[in-house]
Amino acid sequence: MKRTFLLEIVMIAVAVAFLFPVYALITLSLKDPAQISQTPLALPAPPSLDNYATAWTAASLGPSLVNSTVITVVSLVALIALGSFAAYYLARAQSRLGYGLYVLFLLGIVLPFQLGMIPLYQLVTDLGLIGSHAGMIIFYTGIQLPFTVFLYTGFIRALPREYASAAQIDGASHLVAFAKVVFPLLRPITGTVLILNAVFIWNDFFTPLLYLGGSGYETIPVSVFAFVGQYVSNHGLVFAGLVLGSLPIVLAFLLLQRYVIKGFSSGLKG
Amino acid sequence: MTASTPWRRFSSLSPSWLFALPALLVYAAVVLYPSVAGMLYAFTDWSGIGEDRSFVGLSNLAALFDDEQAMGSIGNTLLLTVAVVVVQNGVGLLLALGVHAKLKSRAVLRAVFFAPVVVSPVMVAFLWKYVYTPDPSAGLNGLLGLDVDWLGNPSVALWSIAGMVVWQYAGYSMVIFLAGLEGVPRELHEAAMIDGAGTLQRFRYVTWPLLAPALTINLMLSTIGGLKLFDQVFAATNGGPGYATETLSTVLYKQAFVFGKFGYSTAIALVLALFVAAVSLVQVYYLRRREVSQ
Amino acid sequence: MSDLRDAKMSRVQFFRMMGGLAAAAAATACSTKPSSTTAQGQASTTELRFVGVADQKAPMDEIVAAYKQVKPGVTVNTSFAPTDQVQTSVRTQLGAGNAPDLHVVYPGNGSAMSMSQIAKAGLLADLSDQAWTKTIPTGFKPAFQSEGKTYIYSAGSSVIGAIYNKKAFEKAGVDAPPTTWTEFLALCDKLKKAGVTPIALGAQTPWVTQLITYALVPSTVYAKDPSFDDKQLAGQASFAQSGWRQAMEMYLELQKRGFFNDNPNGTTFEQQTSMVATGKAAMAIQVSAVLPDFRKAASGPDDLSMFPVPGADSADQVWIPAGVVVGLGAAAKGRNVGEAKAFIDFLGKQENINRWAKAISAIPLTQDSASTIDPAVQSFLPFTKDRAVPFMDQRWPNAEVQPVHFAVVQELLAGKIKVDEALKKMDEAYAK
Repeated sequence: MKRTFLLEIVMIAVAVAFLFPVYALITLSLKDPAQISQTPLALPAPPSLDNYATAWTAASLGPSLVNSTVITVVSLVALIALGSFAAYYLARAQSRLGYGLYVLFLLGIVLPFQLGMIPLYQLVTDLGLIGSHAGMIIFYTGIQLPFTVFLYTGFIRALPREYASAAQIDGASHLVAFAKVVFPLLRPITGTVLILNAVFIWNDFFTPLLYLGGSGYETIPVSVFAFVGQYVSNHGLVFAGLVLGSLPIVLAFLLLQRYVIKGFSSGLKG
Repeated sequence: MTASTPWRRFSSLSPSWLFALPALLVYAAVVLYPSVAGMLYAFTDWSGIGEDRSFVGLSNLAALFDDEQAMGSIGNTLLLTVAVVVVQNGVGLLLALGVHAKLKSRAVLRAVFFAPVVVSPVMVAFLWKYVYTPDPSAGLNGLLGLDVDWLGNPSVALWSIAGMVVWQYAGYSMVIFLAGLEGVPRELHEAAMIDGAGTLQRFRYVTWPLLAPALTINLMLSTIGGLKLFDQVFAATNGGPGYATETLSTVLYKQAFVFGKFGYSTAIALVLALFVAAVSLVQVYYLRRREVSQ
Repeated sequence: MSDLRDAKMSRVQFFRMMGGLAAAAAATACSTKPSSTTAQGQASTTELRFVGVADQKAPMDEIVAAYKQVKPGVTVNTSFAPTDQVQTSVRTQLGAGNAPDLHVVYPGNGSAMSMSQIAKAGLLADLSDQAWTKTIPTGFKPAFQSEGKTYIYSAGSSVIGAIYNKKAFEKAGVDAPPTTWTEFLALCDKLKKAGVTPIALGAQTPWVTQLITYALVPSTVYAKDPSFDDKQLAGQASFAQSGWRQAMEMYLELQKRGFFNDNPNGTTFEQQTSMVATGKAAMAIQVSAVLPDFRKAASGPDDLSMFPVPGADSADQVWIPAGVVVGLGAAAKGRNVGEAKAFIDFLGKQENINRWAKAISAIPLTQDSASTIDPAVQSFLPFTKDRAVPFMDQRWPNAEVQPVHFAVVQELLAGKIKVDEALKKMDEAYAK
């Protein structure tokens, strides 16, 4: 008992030290420039929300929040559907084709995105999808599929085959067996897939800048960095912008954290 | 749906390849086709804009080996990767062991350590640029009473970047290790305790071997992440001071978009891809072998 | 494995989910295409896309709003981001053959987004038939023109000098700005003795590294040989065998005498700004275009002013750098070239040149009675006629010299290399 108590103290101390950058972020965002330069480490006295008010309006975060949410949510649904479907085949196929396709998907994890940047931009232009949510959704689905397929395939391989087979004996096709039996079993890894992809898509900055810049459909990071670029010399304002830009995803995580971490653990067990 | 033949035909064997088709189409359109088309630039002298380009064969690849800066950046890339892989996983493991114990605050602690993972790496770099201020009265220096030029001293900067990356992703490793720890049956520990094994011995002989799959996933993810690391370096130092933190990713970026040598940049990207693929293959090979031997 | 047991999803739920996906995809596909032209019969509207750097936001916002009044049928959708990201994004779009209608362009040559490099690839629309291009001052023509044709709009020029905090100067008992290098050193000494950092240097931010050399080179190189650029292009002059050496040595002398803040390589532009704005440091050698940033960070905008850095020991040998500010061009192959050029023509009106210049404390390209010049840059005006040189990179033949300059300055400040080696690296990059 005593040892657990000691460990608890140590871990809490570690967590407090770990949170130091966050302390700096939040206290600075509540200070004016004079306080920042004179008492950089002290608590804000008095704290002021002015920076937040300025950042919210100047960066026009309201509309960006909608864009980011639509793009992230639809991409996630597409990733989960396509990824789990493909993984079901890849994990169960015993042919050379199955293995070859799996390796082909894994290739996508190592390819630097710069390689295909220009041809992809041409393709998206030809499809008339520049400056649209649909273009971004297709992009994120494609770019994140390799990792999604990798996670799902690993998990399905570790599942006992009997679940699906039992359903098939009842005369169900693979499609029905997948929908009725396999997919529900994938819930833990789906949690992992969800979180990792959501984090990537929500935070991605360069692609939306490239595809959505000047379209009126900018996402949160694009708006935040346009704002940050403008007020570089005022740390308080910049940090308020960063807090506002990260808040939705951090809040989502904190609300769901029990499921996230649990899903993560059980998901990666496979 | 059940009537359509392809879905039914192999239903007693493996699922049909049609299951993979939708994903394959999107993946091919967004990743495979553009990457292959883009690769071809590696054999041209294209500047990145305009029609002017000619085929130059392998001379871009040859030029890479004479490029002092690019070769230097390979060293930095490897150092940074090794530092991140070792420290991030070491810290991640310790944190996992800590929050795996029956602590009252374990849920909060897990959330705290994992939270930075969900924030944009560019935003984290912005924040850490402030934390790493050389001002002795502010940031990390102010907290620790130090006077270190974290990002400005060429012999320190690379490690400062590694520190920032570890801060953000230690929680990621922690969660994966936690998954492994939760898979260790409690009975094994109890049995070992009855046999008189101490804490360290139990870790060495019971926990550690069962953490192997988690360790391998962690090693693979952090190695690939380290080798491809770009956002954090670019936002924190842009490769400086001088060339002290230039990595393969920043060099290939600069060749393409700052120097206007797109062809050469693509050649570097190809080399990076091969490099990452080779390293991952070796790791996967070891993963398989270890899992088989268990 | 308790998750496995309580994870139940019925077939109905699954298909509802899949159906939801299809519906959502269809909905976004329908809703996301901005209407660029409305149906025939109605007055058609054109949307122009502009991608620019953060510094351009203030003037663009103002002028775009004014344009809406003049030409309601045209909307200019703007987006702004930090320089590096814009450079990457616009170059990718240019490379893929689908540039935004209007985008940021840097004057002259010497960077991947410079007028010469993009015009050479045939991707910028020729603006030469617009009225305002006829009045570009001769000295600025190389910044605007490639082979006799104008490809970039810019509202004027900015200068590099010392932005200083008046209160810090007063406190140290400094009354007049220095006019020679010796006086400048004496001034720094006085400030230092008064306990204030004489010069804030944010060399962690790459572009800041070049400003001190740029401030000195006009006096150490061009005052002696105004045709240095042409000679260097012809291979008859080099960095190593010129006043560049002297400028670099003067730069390092400032460091050796302890006139910079500690750890300039770890200090960012933002920190540099705040040091001067709050009076922790007395001055920063900077480009006048960032005056608005310094003012935003200061307690009052009148706290700050600016003076030319005297790079020579006789006042009449002091020259200054005055460069055309970052501007914009129209894509040559866009769908809306006509409308994009019309917008630039609007920018070329004297009142809009004045507006833009005012927003970034620049000296307007051409002036009329309504033109205002920021009081902080008044002291530079006597130089602009015949003792001013464009920013050096605007005449450099490729995009590699400038980044090498950034890197060698950081290495010099870190004591990792000597001036000889620095200049040799720059000469090598120049020769590429």
